[in-house]
Amino acid sequence: MTTQVKPPPAASGVAPWQPSRDGTAAAPVKPPPAMAVAAPPAPARESRKFTVSEYYRMAEVGILHHTERVELIDGEIIVMAPIGEPHATGVDRLTLAFAEVSRGRFIVRVQNPIRLNDGGAPQPDLVILRLREDFYISAHPGPGDVLLIIEVSDSTLDFDREVKSRRYAAAGIPEMWVLNLPEDCLERFTAPGPQGYARHDILRRGDRVSPVALPDLELAVDELLPPAGAEE
Amino acid sequence: MTTQVKPPPASSGVAPRQPSQDGFAAAPAKPPPAMAVAAPPAPARESRKFTVAEYIRMAETGILDGQERVELIDGEVLTMPPMGPEHFSGIMGYTQAFRRFPVEWFCLLVQAPLWLDEYFAPEPDLALLKFRADNYWGLRPGPADTLLAIEVAKSSLQYDREIKAHIYGRAGIPETWVLNLPEDCLERFTAPGPQGYARHDILRRGDKVRPVALPDLELAVDELLPPAGAGE
Repeated sequence: MTTQVKPPPAASGVAPWQPSRDGTAAAPVKPPPAMAVAAPPAPARESRKFTVSEYYRMAEVGILHHTERVELIDGEIIVMAPIGEPHATGVDRLTLAFAEVSRGRFIVRVQNPIRLNDGGAPQPDLVILRLREDFYISAHPGPGDVLLIIEVSDSTLDFDREVKSRRYAAAGIPEMWVLNLPEDCLERFTAPGPQGYARHDILRRGDRVSPVALPDLELAVDELLPPAGAEE
Repeated sequence: MTTQVKPPPASSGVAPRQPSQDGFAAAPAKPPPAMAVAAPPAPARESRKFTVAEYIRMAETGILDGQERVELIDGEVLTMPPMGPEHFSGIMGYTQAFRRFPVEWFCLLVQAPLWLDEYFAPEPDLALLKFRADNYWGLRPGPADTLLAIEVAKSSLQYDREIKAHIYGRAGIPETWVLNLPEDCLERFTAPGPQGYARHDILRRGDKVRPVALPDLELAVDELLPPAGAGE
């Protein structure tokens, strides 16, 4: 893409430079290589990454407002997609299914932060945590406290499946579920490793599912997905 | 008024810089900051933009250290790469040259931000501001205060030329100079407008240059570029 050097506008307000006035050189020239004024492909500059403590400090001092839907992923503060109705329903269904059987077994954390060791502080839709008497009041749970993470996906499906799953797996979180609303199924990721989850299963209505870390807990996929025919 | 582009004067005795020799020029654009784990292109997710007020607050509250080399570009806090010796010398060349002019002609801003609008606080290497006897004490200079913005570009050439100059032009700063070390010339951008600068000139050794807004301030391009034999 070559950009034409335009003549100075007549009414620029500033007196145009007169190259001839004193014999100084100058004048319209060929644009330098790769000059593209209009829509430049941004040459790489790196974002300043933020640590978890800087992220929380931003909330403390009011830079980030507590009503903002953001999360820290890989040192970057990401705006979370607004929650639509199907998403909210999915979260409510999951919360009910797990909370009903949680007493004395595990803690259900809904849309609250957890800590990853790499500087991330995501807020998954649902996290099933190891039971702790203090309910994690002194520090947000870390990867070792997490039994299962669940994300409800409508518009965020690709991001949840491709980016988040890798991060959770790399952090050693044993299992992740994606409640896939567009395709009306539950995707289950297990066998975490540095490159992601090695195993990926799709569960459909009629199937039953048990988290690896909670083998005696069995849930029907139907009770997690929105009620059948709900949107008709 | 068509003037021919002058070749670098042969009489200057200065061998034109060989960009490839010292690894200067056209360094292949760095790939965008790599996602720690993801090889496939990550689905787009929006970063939380920061306003200038939030950016200032980050500095006030110690989230950003006063010594950090960062700038706010389009709401994103970007790190500036460490400066090499040529960059320092380029800045020094300018400051030395400016010393011979009366102090009441301008204020010299050295590696400090210009406060352009809500989402932009870039840091030029140098800027000439309208003279104020109080040295802008307690103020944050903006486009209306700025007569000339200056970047010294080595590895940052593409960024300075395509992004920084574009931003300065759009903000209405009357003129920007990019001292192009790889190609041994001074690039001059004038006639600012909403699309950036409309005019772009290349000045070479032997040329003289005068800012539009300070027509009595005349500099020789030779005093800004490295002296003959420098760095050999």
